[in-house]
Amino acid sequence: MIHSTIAWIALPFFIGFVIYLAPKVSRWLAVAIPLFSASYAGNIFLNTDPGDALSIQLIDTLGVNLIVDHLSGWFILTNALVTLAVIVYCWQTSKKPFFFMQLVILHGSVNSAFICADFISLYVALEVISIAAFLLIAYSRSDRSIWVGLRYLFISNTVMLFYLIGAVLIYQANHSFNYSGLLNASVEAIALIFLGLLGKGGIFISGFWLPLTHSESESPVSAMLSGVVVKAGVFPMVRLALMLEAINPVVRLFGVATALLGVSYAVFAKDTKRMLAFHTISQLGFIMAAPIVGGFYALTHGLVKAALFLISGILPSRNFKELKHQPLDLKIWLALIIASFSISGFPLLAGFGAKVLTTKNLLPWQVIAMNIAALGTAISFAKFIFLPRQKLVKSNLATKNNTEMTTKPIQLGFWGAMIILLGGLVLANGVYYEAYTFKNLLKPLATIAAGWSIYLLIVQKLTIKLPRTIEQFEHLIGVMSLTLILLFWTVWTRIQYST
Amino acid sequence: MLEAFVFITVLCGFLGIIFKQNLLMKIISMDIMSTGVIGYYVLIASRSGLQTPIIGSTNSDDLAYADPVPQAVILTAIVIGFSIQALMLVCAMKLAKNNPTLETSFIEENNTP
Repeated sequence: MIHSTIAWIALPFFIGFVIYLAPKVSRWLAVAIPLFSASYAGNIFLNTDPGDALSIQLIDTLGVNLIVDHLSGWFILTNALVTLAVIVYCWQTSKKPFFFMQLVILHGSVNSAFICADFISLYVALEVISIAAFLLIAYSRSDRSIWVGLRYLFISNTVMLFYLIGAVLIYQANHSFNYSGLLNASVEAIALIFLGLLGKGGIFISGFWLPLTHSESESPVSAMLSGVVVKAGVFPMVRLALMLEAINPVVRLFGVATALLGVSYAVFAKDTKRMLAFHTISQLGFIMAAPIVGGFYALTHGLVKAALFLISGILPSRNFKELKHQPLDLKIWLALIIASFSISGFPLLAGFGAKVLTTKNLLPWQVIAMNIAALGTAISFAKFIFLPRQKLVKSNLATKNNTEMTTKPIQLGFWGAMIILLGGLVLANGVYYEAYTFKNLLKPLATIAAGWSIYLLIVQKLTIKLPRTIEQFEHLIGVMSLTLILLFWTVWTRIQYST
Repeated sequence: MLEAFVFITVLCGFLGIIFKQNLLMKIISMDIMSTGVIGYYVLIASRSGLQTPIIGSTNSDDLAYADPVPQAVILTAIVIGFSIQALMLVCAMKLAKNNPTLETSFIEENNTP
């Protein structure tokens, strides 16, 4: 297992450079990597027990530490499926081998973030992610994409500098960078480390860089960013919360706050991709709110969000108001409905099982807030669900009339990606079939019904435009210092209570 | 004392990122900040001594060696930091074509929807 793990981590980087040398087979090489990752994740699930963890120490305690268990398995599977779908989606487009190379390298570095167990390996993984993600965002090389990418790179590099200071403080206390030494270090070390992870994962107020970055990138890139890349920042927090009892409440608290904050912006968003991006912030909160089952939630969210971003890329407009006057093609509408239903927690799709699991593992003080967040999810996705569609009979005529105006020819790759992502959702539904009891069924249905009625009665008519000042570059950097103080205070009080 | 200087450097860099208007100055401020962080690693490494940790150079038992681990780690961080700097400067060059003053507020205004 150790050798296969190391080979599996190294392969994407190796293949990434081979792609550049052999551009003609780039697509085939690229598609092999996520398949390999998926089989590796399958291997984890089949060959280890849920409680077990394979712990690998290279060299000694000063060297690289890796932990592979079921939690990483879920995240790796998410990464594999989303990357596979994105590659299939881009198969027929005119993307250059460079694009596929970056995609594969991004995939590899995200994978390594999901298994590493010491702060320096994590630092390296996160920085490689920043660079690869930046190159993907700036792929079109327009001024806007360069600015959005530069902003992302700048913010993530600045938080990572704070993170490095935290890492050395931990080394000073333990003479090792291992995760387990976090609590021996001082409170400011924990606060600095968390600032890095919060900033990188787009959590709470330090996550305001995320909406613009995710909404202004190309659809396949947004799907990657929202589906897996932000989870590389969240995963270490989930891991730390599970390893160290004292950190658990801090992570849960930030999870709840993030879920509420993200969803309250998502409800009022007028633009499809911005709504999805804000909603990503809130879903990361759900993952953190119940760390123990975060892996399954991450899988369902990754699949749905990638699917929705890919769909929003082929919708005729990004504005919800305009979309209301342009009936959608029935097939696209169906895909949209399946994804939206899953994320709202509708039974028969994986989102339902994930929501039930998360609700079960919440602490009493979290329940009300998370229910409000789930209600917000239902409200914001009602925007997608109530979009008009073409009638079956009329569709032929209507498409003929509108072909040039509304629908671009949809490539086969899109449907391939949808089959992978939505098929994954339906299959993953079987993982937690115990969820199907009458009581469990009632609650999500009630939430969805309440969400839809609130949408139809109130939100639809509202035209509140939330200010975007906080998304300006300088404010994003400034918020970091505020977050640092907040973190310091939170960690300090919580740790005092727990000891 | 030295620690205070290191933190002042980090703080200067951070404030520079916030308050400097010019994109190029912001990038340089970030470099200053990372210099501070690197300095801190070196400082922590030298807590146990100042000698270069090479086995077999002199009688090795009673010498006070500097801790090699933080130094090795920060070497990685330096390389990553400088590659990111390079990437950012290329971006700044590209952006300078349409925004010759490189004022971030203008670039931001032009490039946000």
